[in-house]
Amino acid sequence: MTESNKPILEVKGLKTHFFTKRGVSKAVDGIDFSLHKGETLGIVGESGCGKSITSLSILRLIPSPPGKIAGGQVLFKGKDLVTISEDEMRRVRGNEISMIFQEPMTSLNPVLPVGEQIAEALRMHQNMGRKAAWERAVEMLKLVGIPSPEKRAKQEPFQLSGGMRQRVMIAMALACTPEVLIADEPTTALDVTIQAQILELIKDLQNRLGMGVIMITHDLGVVAETCDTVAVMYAGNIIEHAPTEKIFANPRHPYTQGLLDSLPKIHEDQEELQTIEGSVPSPYNMPAGCRFASRCPHQQPICHEQQPELIEQNDGVKVRCWMYTDLWTVKMVKEEAVK
Amino acid sequence: MLMFIVRRLLQTIPVIIGVTFVVFFIMQLVPGDPAVLLAGEGASKETIEAIRDQLGLNRPLLVQYFDYLTSVFRGDFGVSLKNSQPVLDEILVRLPITVELSFFSILITIVLGMAAGIISAIKPYSLKDTTVMIVALLGISLPSFWFGLMLMYFFSVKLQILPVAGWDSILHVILPALTLGAGGAAIVARMTRSSMLEVIRQDYIRTARAKGVRESVIIYKHGLRNALIPVITVVGLQFGALLGGTVLVESIFAINGLGRMIVDSIRMRDLPMVQGGVLVASLVFVVVNLIVDVLYRFFNKRIELN
Repeated sequence: MTESNKPILEVKGLKTHFFTKRGVSKAVDGIDFSLHKGETLGIVGESGCGKSITSLSILRLIPSPPGKIAGGQVLFKGKDLVTISEDEMRRVRGNEISMIFQEPMTSLNPVLPVGEQIAEALRMHQNMGRKAAWERAVEMLKLVGIPSPEKRAKQEPFQLSGGMRQRVMIAMALACTPEVLIADEPTTALDVTIQAQILELIKDLQNRLGMGVIMITHDLGVVAETCDTVAVMYAGNIIEHAPTEKIFANPRHPYTQGLLDSLPKIHEDQEELQTIEGSVPSPYNMPAGCRFASRCPHQQPICHEQQPELIEQNDGVKVRCWMYTDLWTVKMVKEEAVK
Repeated sequence: MLMFIVRRLLQTIPVIIGVTFVVFFIMQLVPGDPAVLLAGEGASKETIEAIRDQLGLNRPLLVQYFDYLTSVFRGDFGVSLKNSQPVLDEILVRLPITVELSFFSILITIVLGMAAGIISAIKPYSLKDTTVMIVALLGISLPSFWFGLMLMYFFSVKLQILPVAGWDSILHVILPALTLGAGGAAIVARMTRSSMLEVIRQDYIRTARAKGVRESVIIYKHGLRNALIPVITVVGLQFGALLGGTVLVESIFAINGLGRMIVDSIRMRDLPMVQGGVLVASLVFVVVNLIVDVLYRFFNKRIELN
């Protein structure tokens, strides 16, 4: 990990809301994180926690209406991507910030040769001629480990396997050597053996190109393998943000603890897998207090009254939980005293 | 691809034979005796019988049919019962007119229909979309004979900018082609719209956006090519409807095309003419279907696998 001090991407107080007939769904509700050159940030959480919406918001790809970035900033090399013009944004997409999607089967255009789909970005962003762009596309296919790339470039997606299509997606995303790569569940739809290859490929290319990677996943195994830092999302908020080894060694937030407990363990005799009781609150009707409170084994009255802030601990771990505030200790002491 | 075209061509042979069979026997079931019509009113039984003999109408039906079939394959469509002219000659005079009319009307169907569909799909539920779709609904609902007469009344009688009827110049083509193409254009517009809306929601469109592709390129390159696949089917089907349409439109605008020839011949019980006309019309239909199939594969190479 090569880390310079200034982050290349900074997300500050980002809010993405969906305005529907049922009401306002606060899918992403004020999140902050930053990404440095060469760093891999994992964003984890269960389905619907807002991690994909976060990534789409960075590139302003939220379907609008009903979606809208309701507040916050996305700072990329001094520009706020939330406010720049659509034309400027278009020049960032696929050029400086790229994205890989979850479904390689449906994310490639079925009627265009894959080489053309890669070359298109090069012609647009790098002003390459038709021939040069095509040659570079073939090179990219070679770089992502596709055998006989000249032949494959002329083929259409249906002639390729799932793993190969995801390689094509990666080739497409990296063709213009972006500074940030957002990988939205890049391995979820693939076989386990292919998963490992694809992760290895992303890591390898990251080392060569020195880009920052945002790895969006629900798979803690992927996080452990690839990420330097992790942001755990729950119901539109980041609830814990820490270096990967610290999260795995000592999870602070009860939700993170629950997530790690629910992993099957190899060395212990387990009859049943652990689960987290209850379910995620509806995005249309968020509780006033901590969003995890109703499922939390440590819940206190204050948890239901007021939402805690994301507070940095002494060792750099940020956590959004009353348990790690002075209020909690004071309160506990008081309660002890009452007893 | 070549193998595919050859195979499809071979498949058309049984279709053509089937068509001749159906046409031949349906005409036998239609009331009315060509011999009686030819002999004229008040002709004696002997005269009618003589004509029947001369035309071979009293031989067994199957013999008549096979006789007809073999001559068709030799390029002999028989002679008209009305004026003893070879059927093929008459058809060759009429066919280009109908082909021209069909060509322009299908052009209207495709260009007008797809343009309207795309305009609608770009901003769904907008005022533009609603207007286009209401017009399209009218296009489907209005019967073509009424629509043709209205066009004629408005442009030829009131404004006097286009000829009323006949078939001389390119100006004569406009109203009949519009009458014939309007219904198809409406169907194509609705199909294009729904197909575009379906395609625009797909993951690969999001991928193209994430790549930084311009919105217009997304619509025309990434969207339309995928959306066209079902539209081509509909356009192909419109050709079928066209056969029926030309009959009406050629009658309204007094155009001496194939459709009108078939109608007149049916009225006269001119059996060889009807058979020849319908046969040629079906041949055209079969060829058009072949072209549609080839286009289909061009736009969607996945079909090759199936």
